[in-house]
Amino acid sequence: MTEDRLIELIESWGADPSAFPQAERGAARALLAAHPERFATAIAEARALDAALARMPDVFPPPALTAALIASAPKPKRAGGALRVPKFAPWAPASGAAALAAGLFMGLMAAPSASASASADSETDDVQALLEEAIGYDPAAMSEGIAE
Amino acid sequence: MAIVVRVSGPESDKPCRVAFSSDLDQITRAAAGDAAAVRALVNRYSPGVLSLATCMLSDRGEAEDVTQETFIRAWKALPGWEPRAKFSTWLHRVALNLCYDGLRKRRESLPGELPDLADTRLSPQEALDQSQRVLAIEQAISALPERQSAALTLCALQGHSQAEAAEIMDVSVEALESLLARARRTLRAHLLERSPSP
Repeated sequence: MTEDRLIELIESWGADPSAFPQAERGAARALLAAHPERFATAIAEARALDAALARMPDVFPPPALTAALIASAPKPKRAGGALRVPKFAPWAPASGAAALAAGLFMGLMAAPSASASASADSETDDVQALLEEAIGYDPAAMSEGIAE
Repeated sequence: MAIVVRVSGPESDKPCRVAFSSDLDQITRAAAGDAAAVRALVNRYSPGVLSLATCMLSDRGEAEDVTQETFIRAWKALPGWEPRAKFSTWLHRVALNLCYDGLRKRRESLPGELPDLADTRLSPQEALDQSQRVLAIEQAISALPERQSAALTLCALQGHSQAEAAEIMDVSVEALESLLARARRTLRAHLLERSPSP
């Protein structure tokens, strides 16, 4: 270990010899102990910088970032493999037939209500005729009068 | 404790450091979607990745983006994970490369600007403020040439071993030492410059 090499180590790794490369640590410690005055300036400068760096606070991810990192992770697979829809669904024709049957059923159910609606219309016409007769209103005579 | 094994393939004659056994276990479980393993990996490694990106970029928003992208890449890599390197080393290398990309994009968007130390000189009153000091050091580190900044952050701030820091940066330990020496020299000069005269 030369003095120049020890200065290099201090300038690179700082004042604490335990941060030096392991292979050179022992020799560096011995040289430092033998001639502390020769390295006092380098050690003091390195120590000041070490202290400034040591004041840097630890960085902690905010909860939102942690949550986002966890959310982006792989999701557990379902037991027996993921649920997949096959390209050809064997039940497709059956579902088509079921839809057709449902349509027909709905049509048949709607038909009686349509005829009920028609009979309701004829009842309304009868009531209107009775009312017109009661008040002596004759729509045919009214149309002829307008024509003349 | 790291395990040393021999791996098959062209490099089978070289022993490789592999992930910590607990890492391997967690990686396997996280790849299968085990929520506890995912949470453990995030809790263990996200502070280091965020810290590295913050020092490199000096921008918390960009640093968080880098952290997210790093973990997205990690999740994609997990199913085929081959434990040739420590997961931590691999993760920090991905983060560092993303930081380099970010810095490169910054330079491209600001052509003609020379990389220089940020002007972090503060008034005497401000200099007393610890948070301002921390900010000044953080900005001074991020204003260093990117490889020097990375070396200093990995070794002096994050406490990675020399071998691990060199592996993350893909350089030799000797090159790492040279980067560190230059980084510390520049940083010390900058901090001396901004410290109030006696």
